[in-house]
Amino acid sequence: MKHKRFVFFMILPTLLLISFVILYPTISGVLLSFKNYSVFNFGNIKWIGTDNFKEIFDDIFYIDVIWNTVKWIFFSVTFQLFFGFILALLMKEPFKGRGLYAGLVFYPWAISGFAIGLIWSWLLNGQFGVINDILIKLGFIKEGINFLSDPSLAMFSVILVNVWYGIPFFAIMILAALQSIPNSLYEAAEIDGAGYFTKLFKITIPYIKPTLINTILLRIIWVMNFPDIIYGMTRGGPAGSTEILSVKMINTVFYESNYSKAAAHGVIIVLILLIYTIMYLKLTSKKEFSL
Amino acid sequence: MKKFIVFISVLLVALFAFSEESITLNLIEAFSSPWRTPTLNKIIEMFETLNPGVKINVISPPYETAYQKINLMVSTEQPLDIVEIGDWNLSTLAAMGKLEDLTPYINSWPEKNDLIDGILEAASIYHNTPYLLPHGLFAKALFYRPDILKKYGFNNYPKTMQELYDMGKKLTESDKNQYGFAFRGKGYPTSFIDAVVTSFFDDIDPDNMYLTKSGKIIFEDPRAVKALTFYVNIYKDTSPKDSINWGWDEQVNAFVSGITPLLFQDPDTTGMLNEMLKPGQYKTAPLPVGVSGKAYPSFGFVGWGIPTYSKHKDLAWKFIKFVSSAEINGYWSKSYGALPILKSVYKYDSYFSSYVFEGWTKMFEDKEHYQFTQYPLDNENWGKWNEFQEKTMQQVLLGKLSVVRCLKEWADFWKKAGIK
Repeated sequence: MKHKRFVFFMILPTLLLISFVILYPTISGVLLSFKNYSVFNFGNIKWIGTDNFKEIFDDIFYIDVIWNTVKWIFFSVTFQLFFGFILALLMKEPFKGRGLYAGLVFYPWAISGFAIGLIWSWLLNGQFGVINDILIKLGFIKEGINFLSDPSLAMFSVILVNVWYGIPFFAIMILAALQSIPNSLYEAAEIDGAGYFTKLFKITIPYIKPTLINTILLRIIWVMNFPDIIYGMTRGGPAGSTEILSVKMINTVFYESNYSKAAAHGVIIVLILLIYTIMYLKLTSKKEFSL
Repeated sequence: MKKFIVFISVLLVALFAFSEESITLNLIEAFSSPWRTPTLNKIIEMFETLNPGVKINVISPPYETAYQKINLMVSTEQPLDIVEIGDWNLSTLAAMGKLEDLTPYINSWPEKNDLIDGILEAASIYHNTPYLLPHGLFAKALFYRPDILKKYGFNNYPKTMQELYDMGKKLTESDKNQYGFAFRGKGYPTSFIDAVVTSFFDDIDPDNMYLTKSGKIIFEDPRAVKALTFYVNIYKDTSPKDSINWGWDEQVNAFVSGITPLLFQDPDTTGMLNEMLKPGQYKTAPLPVGVSGKAYPSFGFVGWGIPTYSKHKDLAWKFIKFVSSAEINGYWSKSYGALPILKSVYKYDSYFSSYVFEGWTKMFEDKEHYQFTQYPLDNENWGKWNEFQEKTMQQVLLGKLSVVRCLKEWADFWKKAGIK
């Protein structure tokens, strides 16, 4: 009994700190989503039940927002993983100037997402964008491509930038895992006559699978909660074609100044991510995935 | 040790004595910017030199969230003595009952009669009471590039919307990356849409841009169909397709580079244009009038107010009076790019009677063709409207929504929002 009490007092500071920085904001955010808290009525804040949620689901554009979010996550993460993996494989072998090269390819990860959005929105501009200028001068196209104002291209453009931004993260994580694979495994495989792809699929990928699973899990959550690039490039436009859930939440704050409705958007995002995380962990924790 | 204690106590006493004499006023600004905030600090420095013992502490929240912060601070009675208020949060703050009625102060102010006509009325939108004294005015005017227009054989600016369209169409050569009109597609395009749409009317309510004088919502009127179709044609025939994604930055850049030599903008754009273009390379003109022969610009304003709970109201007014004097207001407007509030400033400083301000002075003088009206800014749904209008407008421009259907959506929005 005494021992239990001792443990309790020892972890109490941590518990308090966590409740203060995580639990309290979460609860107050959820509570906020059931009020009518907006800049227009600070004097008359009251409970309005599920009105905020009703209003969100009544929005005829909301289904598009969800669909955009799915596209945004799926293509961003898939290509980030694919290219990040290739990059990590290339970086694993030592070559001259690898340190410098690593620094250069990893640098996008160090820039703020919003700044990246702004930089790329100028690069991809239809009238005075550098990319259009280069394409025109090379003779590939005659008139500038409207990367960000053509609704069929806008989503592609923002995903392209997000892929560019996210590759280094996968590369860093995968590279670290790759370097922990004992060389003896490869040597043994070589003696048995294994080729490059056999080694890749039978040793490398199974060995780093736990890292892959965790990285993908985290990345999907981050990409879903990552409005910076889209906000910097299109603010969700044109005509809502790049509006994802987190951008919608920001727009609710900046345009409508309606904090409680934005909180309701946040609650929905949390619920979706919660369901996703549980499902993902359940699926990936099956025997075949464990090493 | 003893010496140290004595030293500390003397220091404390001195500090205490000093702090009793000096009064600190807290001022919160709404438009912090790398150009404006230093100007404000300079003016405050002057005021502090003239009034020893008074210190002004400036709070500069980031531009994007400033209004929310101000509303929150005032509603929770945080220590503030001078508050910058814009036309779109005036009603909210005044409705809370947290703003001092400035009538007695303004009445005893000698410069009152020097104020531009209509400005005090515009500032009294809530219960006919001035809860703020404006320090700058905004209104859209036409900016044009005479050098580029001349190349295409135009010696004058477009005076009607039809001329604007025709000129823009003649200028447009997309293979040369030359277009006519700097269209605004994203980031609060409201006033750009409405400037064109209302120009098809001749009976707009002077108190509400979205109502006719008979109280009908303008989007339900058949004239709105013609107007919005015309607006879509401006986009299709005179502007780059990319401009559906243009905000202020892109608009101004396209104007500076000459890609679109015709632009609607507020006077604060002049600050940047003066830096980027040579004198005379751009000029301003009144907004083109529509088929009705009229145009309905709206007045935007920002000003200073005093919270009711401030302990230093008289001193706060002294500061407001100081910044509103002709000399300071002229200096302020010039570096900030707003239109001055006093008539004498336009005479006193030749900058304001120069070609840069021609567009606005002509509009102010011509009351027959330019009737200033107001947005329903006190409506709770105003913020939502900006987002909704932007999104639906983009859908119309992309051909995903018809003009008629869009106008119905807009009319329904305002019916639901209870416009009056």
